[in-house]
Amino acid sequence: MTLIEELSKAFYIARKDMRVYYLKAPNFTYGLLMPVALYLAFSVAGNLNPGTLISGLVSLVVLFGSTSIEAVAVVMEKTNGTLERLLAAPVGVFNILLGKALAGFMLGPLTAVVVLIPVTMISGTSVANPLAVFFAIAVSSFAFAALGILVSVYAKWIPEAQMYSNFLRFPMAFLAGAFIPVETMPGFLQVVSRLLPLTYSIEAMKEGMTNVGMTGTYLFDMGVLLVFSAVIMIASTKVLEKRLG
Amino acid sequence: MTTPAIDATDLHKKYGSLTALDGVSFTVGKGFIFGLLGPNGAGKTTTIRIMTGLTRPDSGNVSILGHDIKTDTIEAKKKIGVVPETSNIYEEMTAEQNLVFAAELYGVPSKERRKRAAELLEDFGLAERSHDLVVGFSRGMKRRLTIACGLIHRPEILFLDEPTTGLDVQSALALREQIRRLNREGTTILLTTHYLEEADQLCDTIAMINRGKIVAFDTPENLKASVTGSRVIELSFSSPVRETDLSSIKNVIEVHRIGDKLRLIVGDAEDIIGEISDFARSRKLNITTINTLKPSLEDAFLKITGLNPEEAVKDKEQPKPRRNDG
Repeated sequence: MTLIEELSKAFYIARKDMRVYYLKAPNFTYGLLMPVALYLAFSVAGNLNPGTLISGLVSLVVLFGSTSIEAVAVVMEKTNGTLERLLAAPVGVFNILLGKALAGFMLGPLTAVVVLIPVTMISGTSVANPLAVFFAIAVSSFAFAALGILVSVYAKWIPEAQMYSNFLRFPMAFLAGAFIPVETMPGFLQVVSRLLPLTYSIEAMKEGMTNVGMTGTYLFDMGVLLVFSAVIMIASTKVLEKRLG
Repeated sequence: MTTPAIDATDLHKKYGSLTALDGVSFTVGKGFIFGLLGPNGAGKTTTIRIMTGLTRPDSGNVSILGHDIKTDTIEAKKKIGVVPETSNIYEEMTAEQNLVFAAELYGVPSKERRKRAAELLEDFGLAERSHDLVVGFSRGMKRRLTIACGLIHRPEILFLDEPTTGLDVQSALALREQIRRLNREGTTILLTTHYLEEADQLCDTIAMINRGKIVAFDTPENLKASVTGSRVIELSFSSPVRETDLSSIKNVIEVHRIGDKLRLIVGDAEDIIGEISDFARSRKLNITTINTLKPSLEDAFLKITGLNPEEAVKDKEQPKPRRNDG
């Protein structure tokens, strides 16, 4: 089977997931409303500057959105028995999960734009390099979708997947610079923040918003997110294959 | 030598300390309907899951039309259609969308997808509902659509796990006819079923599996012939009678209660009916019904697996007719 055939099957799975799972309620509650509510509460109390607000908020929306759809899309497939239908088809496990990650990856930019445009207009902030910001959103979206898949292959029920996701999402939200700049954190927390993909996502978006050209930091951040995505996708494939026995 | 459709060799599978399969081997020739029968937990579903690449055996091999399911998985999967026991279609999509998605997964050329979907919807009596969301379908309609999804890529081998479970009698009859039609058109079919009458009607060859081992492998007629030498009489009385009392009748070997009826396995005695009449008269009982039955596949199944009829029927949801000659 050619690479194009395999990738096209991943695309068909992604398109099906968009059709079936995008409008499920948990995607709105966990994916959009929760990060926005969290952020609004924090911004009122924390007096954040617009640059931090926008990059942090957009990254959070992407994180919550992409991980939430995977919790729904992967776990519902398991509970409904439809995952077996995918697994019985002539498609490799990696490509099934790639299709799922692509659906999460495409949801991220959609929700991010819904948030980014009004927040940017209201705050009057200008975006120096919209293309760089868009790529940062897209790559972050894929990385967080991959993270959502890894969580979901372990979970049996959607609430269980959301619970595992929250174990990762909330500490990340507070330690990755969404609310508090990383530079102001104690030394050891700065080291911890460097282990979190959200840190690189927020940093890349800040770079895109403030620099017209693509900086070394931006490219490094994007590289880290891509390597993170690849490692997590391979790990998820191994976990699912092992779980199948 | 012709390549068999399915060649399973010495399959072993354990889940923790539970042995699911213990050296299962069989071969299915091209163009046959093969039945895999056994009580719950016997290993049927594990066998199907291994043959369809959903589970890996601890040891042993499965070859699908010459493709090893472990090492040549994608090519082997292209040759098979899989219909699991539970319908697994997307309820948020229409019937046509489900079929087209299945076609996409199996690499059916884009020009063919909608055409084949329309043909299958017609064949399975779903054409009028093709653009309706599956969520509003009846169980029988979902079952038919699940089977249609398994056929969209025109597989050479079709795996059907409990195809008629939960269907009403009319839907089950229609589905059996569709299975026969597919087979006439050249599809090799492997099915598991609880309904032994169904297996008897459909299958060319049957393997009985119990506790992870194949305990019988033959044609339905040969399996039924294996229980000759004894006769089966099913009867009911006007008042309750204990099994132990009936056991006292001469030449009665075994007595089983099935609902309000009693089934007697009797030796080859000429006047057993007279013996039973004497028994009834002596206890002032009327015989309400009495039938002498030909050995059925169920009798063969019970004899081979060692189960009693109550155990064998407890999972069944669908009444089965029995042939009788008395």
